[in-house]
Amino acid sequence: MMRHSVIITPDHVIVDGNPLMHNEKGSVLLTELYRNNIGDYPKFFKMDTLSKLGFIASELLLNAEGNRSFEPREDRAVILFNRHASLQADTAYQATIQDPDNFFPSPAAFVYTLPNIVTGEIAIRNKYFGETSFIVIDDYDEKIIMENLKNAFQDPMTTSIIGGWVDCSDEEHFEAKIFLIEKEN
Amino acid sequence: MIVCVAHNIISPLGVTTADNYAAVKSGRSALKRYDGLWGLPEPFVASLLDRDAYADDRQTIDEKIVIDSVSRALEGAGIDTTWTRVLFIISTTKGNVFLLDKRANAFPQERGRLGMMAREVTRHFGNPNEPIVVSNACISGVCAQIEAMRYLESGAYDYVIVCGVDVQSAFIVSGFQSFKALSPDECKPFDANRQGLNLGDAAATIVFTKKDKVGDNEWVACRGAIRNDANHISGPSRTGEGSYRALKVALGDMEPEKLAFINAHGTATSYNDEMESIAIERAGLAGVPVNSLKGYYGHTMGAAGVLETIISMQAVDDHNILGTRGFDTLGVTHPLDVSNQNRATEKRAFIKLLSGFGGCNAALLMAKGGLR
Amino acid sequence: MDELIYTLKQQIIEALNLEDMKPEDIDDNASLFGEGLGLDSIDALELIVMMEKNYGIKLKDPTQGKEIFKSVAVMADFIAKNRTK
Repeated sequence: MMRHSVIITPDHVIVDGNPLMHNEKGSVLLTELYRNNIGDYPKFFKMDTLSKLGFIASELLLNAEGNRSFEPREDRAVILFNRHASLQADTAYQATIQDPDNFFPSPAAFVYTLPNIVTGEIAIRNKYFGETSFIVIDDYDEKIIMENLKNAFQDPMTTSIIGGWVDCSDEEHFEAKIFLIEKEN
Repeated sequence: MIVCVAHNIISPLGVTTADNYAAVKSGRSALKRYDGLWGLPEPFVASLLDRDAYADDRQTIDEKIVIDSVSRALEGAGIDTTWTRVLFIISTTKGNVFLLDKRANAFPQERGRLGMMAREVTRHFGNPNEPIVVSNACISGVCAQIEAMRYLESGAYDYVIVCGVDVQSAFIVSGFQSFKALSPDECKPFDANRQGLNLGDAAATIVFTKKDKVGDNEWVACRGAIRNDANHISGPSRTGEGSYRALKVALGDMEPEKLAFINAHGTATSYNDEMESIAIERAGLAGVPVNSLKGYYGHTMGAAGVLETIISMQAVDDHNILGTRGFDTLGVTHPLDVSNQNRATEKRAFIKLLSGFGGCNAALLMAKGGLR
Repeated sequence: MDELIYTLKQQIIEALNLEDMKPEDIDDNASLFGEGLGLDSIDALELIVMMEKNYGIKLKDPTQGKEIFKSVAVMADFIAKNRTK
């Protein structure tokens, strides 16, 4: 059963079907959302765009759920999907190795060149010891996503999932469409 | 029960499962030192395929070895890949990432997308379904098998073809070098003098189906779990939190005495091996033999979970606990039963264990003839 | 030395994306890791790259970082003595 949902695009933010007011667009929008809704997690500024997007979307989602406790739990999974994997981070890292005369591979950029890092960022923030997973499909397909999430409840401990689509091709082009779903008995 | 019906490994040690197992059993390794390769300023040790043998202007080396591996796995298996009830799951971390290097190649940039790479594979096999790409860092290969188990359990498909692949490039090697994670020599898993990991190329395929009745010699994927450390995106948990929890779920109510071995991640980085020793002890499995295959193949990333599961099945079939190549003196704080020699076993089950960036961990229990 | 310390603080803030910090917020002698600035292992690796890029210093052994990154003052001292550019 779907409990809450969040949509973020470069010019729209919608929480549980209601638009959230904001002034900025594009990459600056994510910083604005961070400052207005979170504000106490400076690690945000170290993240690549995919992690920033997924992190902000999950924060808005969990604020909508309410009663945030940050107590460790193993019954909630984070399973996200997208098209471009970690392309924005890959491009940023490639820039640090492209020029042989200016070859300084950046570990801080490299660590984000995996799409599942965003699921780890969400797990760390919320102390989720449950399943985290990242799946790439070349087109957004709600049927595939929902079937996959339904399957994930086969895990003996998982009772709820932060799931959905978190995609970005570069800093200015992104789309998050995530939700909180609970296991149906 | 979810049963393995076919498999294959393509690696520098061979292009069939049998060749790969024979090479590993005899102690062969494909690790070599490379100096100046791909313009990288620092040398590195890795297990690499011959790039020239896979040069092609229509398909990348990743695509070619996946197609080759799946084709070989399916030989004589009687599975028609054009059936709608056959699903492809690809496990990879970086796929065709080398396409980002503008100097490199003639392939369209869009082939850098993992989903496009996977579609190239399903197109080759005439499969009508959208391929699923699991990209969960170094645990992808076990996650892909867990996904396959779930899709089959749900009844949506009759066969799931899981193929893990990664091919090394300047991108990946320089990144691990920047992390100071690479060993200057051949890696030494769990050893007191371990200095880091080696990277490797491979593609490995497992085909699963669901059966009500399982023969004595059929391999069953029993239980798997994925758990997060909720600690750090690159450093493993000091308490082995996620790995311990994944192990516990995979083990379930099975007695540890029934396990032939735990095939660990055993990358030979200081932190990984130490963390696994903590997790294994916490899960009450300190008495079970532990081995790592990284000294033969290096870390094959997206392929590792599939490749190492296949080699481990072969070892149990051969009543053998494979030795951990590169290991000499135990160098983790929690005592583990590790040996560099092959040892005999009559037990019929093992656990495949993996950990990766993003704090993720996965464990999979495989048993010959199923749990009984 | 004061100039180097100030520049170094700017470079640390930039390299590590310490968005909400200004050089004035960093104490010369406060520890960079753990308490203090609260940097982590990836930050330490990034500082090694920063020293190589800006000052031509190549650390052979990454564990050396532990000593060098004690504080901005210690780091500046090490750079002053070892820089090649």
